[in-house]
Amino acid sequence: MNAIRKSMSDIRASEELKQNTLRYLKEHQKTAKRATDRVFPVFRYALAAICLFLLFGTGGYAVYRKPVSYISIDVNPSIELGINRFDRVVSAEAYNEDGQDILSHVTLHNVPYIQAINKVLESESSYHFLKEDSLLIFTIVSDHSYSMIEELSANEFSQNYDTLMYSSDAFCMAEAHNYEMSFGRYRAYQELLQYDDSVTIEDCHNMTISELHNRVENCQHHGVTQNQEDTQDQDGSRHHGECHSHHN
Amino acid sequence: MKSAEDLNRVMEAYSDLVRRICFVHLKNMHDTEDVFQNVYMKYLLHEGSFESAEHEKSWFARVTINACTDWLRYLSHRKWVPLDVIDEEKEVLDHTSRGILEIVLQLPEKYRNVIYLYYYEEYSAVEIADILGKRKNTVYTWLSRAKGILRDRLGGEWA
Repeated sequence: MNAIRKSMSDIRASEELKQNTLRYLKEHQKTAKRATDRVFPVFRYALAAICLFLLFGTGGYAVYRKPVSYISIDVNPSIELGINRFDRVVSAEAYNEDGQDILSHVTLHNVPYIQAINKVLESESSYHFLKEDSLLIFTIVSDHSYSMIEELSANEFSQNYDTLMYSSDAFCMAEAHNYEMSFGRYRAYQELLQYDDSVTIEDCHNMTISELHNRVENCQHHGVTQNQEDTQDQDGSRHHGECHSHHN
Repeated sequence: MKSAEDLNRVMEAYSDLVRRICFVHLKNMHDTEDVFQNVYMKYLLHEGSFESAEHEKSWFARVTINACTDWLRYLSHRKWVPLDVIDEEKEVLDHTSRGILEIVLQLPEKYRNVIYLYYYEEYSAVEIADILGKRKNTVYTWLSRAKGILRDRLGGEWA
């Protein structure tokens, strides 16, 4: 028996852990079953009728067209997707030439957002940027950013590439757009600014997202900061001025 | 939907595997309990069938690794070194085991996965590549680098 195997052989699931889990599963089994059961046909028709009403009824189309969440995808191409309450893409904006190149080749409107991200990453234009060690940064502005992060984390691209996910807010997004920058890139700029206040928005425009991220990591490793003490709160989220983000 | 007998069977068969993968990833027992429950809930809702016991075991390993990674992302704990878990197990770990595990838990996440699957579960690099959804050569590289780090820190007779 090798040393590592021996050192781990005493780590076991306790009876308490097993019994607690079985009790938890028993309690949630009925709910889970209900959720996975097919919806009774009558209710399905009713649901379809409601959806049609929402889509084509008074104001329904406006509801469909209105983005309620945003995702900034920064690889090096920087693209922002606006997502409606049905989780479909209703707007796509490129914030650099690489992003424009991708959007000129793929259609993302009305596509479910996970599928849209897959289309972006699988497009021929992305091929130049996506290597095995590529860094993908997703930044989300939404009322349900955590569930979106969970959904993104479960997707194949999160397993295949080094992926970082952040949540941000509408204020940060508006500031970013003033500088003609995706809010994902702007969030990275804000993070770097905490460690290096000599960096300018122009510098940030000229760096790839990997370069930006590497500079932040270098600063973190070398403990370079003047604002660090007041920027880290208990849940690990970092704040800079009015613009904040959460690393997930 | 799985039966109570199914649940009891997989609980007995894979609970130690799930617990150990949680141990190499998570910060404390509280996190472990949550991920442990998530993994078995995924099994409860899993509608596919398994070709063999080995297939079922590797499904549990893969799902647990993914659940731990998701949990760490969710809690922003990714950069933390989860040494608290060793304190929680101090009653069952002897001095040598404790020393080895402290070094193993300081490895980057991807190296911890391959080291656990290779040395404890005795999976081959090809099988590990399948579980982690990575290329075989990537797994060989990670394994080689992880071994190098362990050799440097633990000395020549560590494995």
